[in-house]
Amino acid sequence: MITGDETYYLSATRLGDLAGRDVQNLTPLLEWAEGSRPFAIRDCFDQSLRMSRRLLLEDGSRLELISAAGEVLRQPATPQARFVAEFAKGPVKIALAGLSPLRALLPVASGMARSGRLALVDGEGKTRARAELRELQPTDGNAVILVRPQGLRGYDRALHDLVAHLRDCGGTPFGAGNLYRMIDPANTGYVARPKIEVGREETAFDAANDLIDGHLPVARANEQGIVADLDTEFLHDYRVALRKIRSVLSLFKGVYDPEQTAGLKARFSALMVPTGPLRDLDVYLLAQQDFCDLVPERMHAGLDRMFARLRDRRAAEHAKLAAHLRSKGYQKEIKALAKLFARRRKLLPGPNASRASFDLACELIWKRYRRIRRIAAGLTAETPDEEVHALRIECKKLRYLMEFFGPVFPRGDFQKVLKPLKELQDSLGLFNDYAVQQTRLQAFADDLGDAPHKLDIAQSVGALVIVLHQKQLAEREKIAATFARFNSGRMQRTIRRLFHEGKGS
Amino acid sequence: MQIIACYSNKGGVGKTATAVNLAYAFAASGRRTLLCDLDPQGASGFYFRVKPSKKLIDAQFFEDDQRFAKAIRGSDYDNLDILPANISFRDFDVFLSRMKNSQSRLKKALKAVKSDYDVVVLDCPPNISMLSENVFHAADAVVVPVIPTTLSQRTFDQLLEFFQASDLPENRIHAFFSMVQGIKSLHGETIAGMTEAHPGRFAQATIPFASEIERMGLTRAPVLATAPGSRAGKAYQALFEEIEGRVKA
Repeated sequence: MITGDETYYLSATRLGDLAGRDVQNLTPLLEWAEGSRPFAIRDCFDQSLRMSRRLLLEDGSRLELISAAGEVLRQPATPQARFVAEFAKGPVKIALAGLSPLRALLPVASGMARSGRLALVDGEGKTRARAELRELQPTDGNAVILVRPQGLRGYDRALHDLVAHLRDCGGTPFGAGNLYRMIDPANTGYVARPKIEVGREETAFDAANDLIDGHLPVARANEQGIVADLDTEFLHDYRVALRKIRSVLSLFKGVYDPEQTAGLKARFSALMVPTGPLRDLDVYLLAQQDFCDLVPERMHAGLDRMFARLRDRRAAEHAKLAAHLRSKGYQKEIKALAKLFARRRKLLPGPNASRASFDLACELIWKRYRRIRRIAAGLTAETPDEEVHALRIECKKLRYLMEFFGPVFPRGDFQKVLKPLKELQDSLGLFNDYAVQQTRLQAFADDLGDAPHKLDIAQSVGALVIVLHQKQLAEREKIAATFARFNSGRMQRTIRRLFHEGKGS
Repeated sequence: MQIIACYSNKGGVGKTATAVNLAYAFAASGRRTLLCDLDPQGASGFYFRVKPSKKLIDAQFFEDDQRFAKAIRGSDYDNLDILPANISFRDFDVFLSRMKNSQSRLKKALKAVKSDYDVVVLDCPPNISMLSENVFHAADAVVVPVIPTTLSQRTFDQLLEFFQASDLPENRIHAFFSMVQGIKSLHGETIAGMTEAHPGRFAQATIPFASEIERMGLTRAPVLATAPGSRAGKAYQALFEEIEGRVKA
């Protein structure tokens, strides 16, 4: 059997070892092809490709996706393409369908590449095994060599010897190690949802500090991507991280001194405010296709004009936010907050500060849960939208609390509660989106003034609002059913057991 | 799968060099090619630096598909594998019928090692009396090098007679002139005469008597790999293209 489909990588500094000495009486012959061409390794900011043990390599005019199992997919590269959707049709595009369509594929490293071949030759001058080499010389960072051993039929031993030699020289299979870090030792992965361990007996004060301290770097890690406008997820993740911090401050009652809590809430809220308009516009622009699908084609021209206006506004809002994030005032404030939660000396404990996380979590979660049941119990077809929104907010708070304290509860039961809660939230979220969209779109139409094609736009927006209203009504009908699933007798018993009877385990 | 036999009932006519270069050309054109070294004297395996395996000199060889598959060696060139067997040709017919028959155990054995071939080139031993008629039946093409001399003319006639006597289709014979020396007027006359006497049997391409071909013994590589731009290299390429076209048709 010919194996050796696997691709390895090693530091270019080890090439001398690889090609410099005989391998089991076979002589290595190294040859480089003439010429070089540009290359780029691409990945999402969250390194989803590396995490799934794949390498996306733009090599000259070719795009390759190499998997840990050794499979190599190839297709022509699409110059300037940043999102999977922009790639030409091909096997690589198909294989990347699982990636977030919202994440740009950013260059992790780029520079010049050249190809070569290493052959192990016997006394007759016959090649017994060989490897395709690709040297990647990044503009910034360390050169690496991708090695793909190739067996020749009938010479399995030589292939085996070659692979063993390659490993001796530091060759690492793709599935292992971190190629990005070999190129750039400063390359650190990004985790949008850091796992923060909260211990059962850990004080609520420490737990809150850990959570905030853990999420602040997430927000900061996204600043550059927002400023450079790489993709919309940077801003989204930035906001989620800040929102989580604010939730800790508002949900962990009495953990910090009340006055300090109020001050911190105001400061984090002030960080959040300038990000709102851009995020709203992003959400609309990302939904462009969905909106168009909702109305007849003759309405599309009007919508296209609306989206063109929104894009102009977005450009302006982005410039504003980027300037804000680069400002000295912002930089000073975020650094001060980071320092506050990293050092913790200046944080003042409140009345609940020394309580055990588990106790506080049970109390807070149980209280939220009862409030949710109270609101949901009165829910009928006539209930005003505001109350449905209130239910949504409560569910969100419950979800955050459960996620923060997740580590202190047994996983199995916890997941059983989380799943129907997520479903309920999805339903409530859609209901809310439809409501907000109607209001916003109407406001947009009312605000057109003397804009060109005003009538076209207003007509299309009107049609869209009608459809959204119908969808909102349909979603509302679903909410009762999703709540019933969340509120089943079994679920009630599980929640009571987990959070009220002190029998978390 | 196509089977192309390089055959001559006369030795020293450049048959092995033809098999080696044709196999190389088929592989270079993208077809998965197996060159079977069936001529103990020709040693096409030698040109690819593949050592003959001692295990293969065994009458049981073709009875054992696994051993057959294991004997195949990858050449230094893409798509080209070599069977460096050193076997007696009484096994030829068994071998060929198995290669041809898709239901055969041999074919299954090949599949088992993930290597089915598009083209099999046979470097046959130079002997008509011993050569089984079945080889001619099984091959899609019998490529015959002919040195344009009076003696070669006679051996070629014998081959045709054999085909007629055995009721074999003559159109499987694709002859070409080998080791041609333009300076010899006898060569020119013989080429003209034989081409006329056997319309359609001879390829247009001729292989010259060239030092590059003789040097194959030193370079141990096909002329098409070491000197594709040489006169001999171009001639082999032209011959390949013609044979390829004829086999397809």
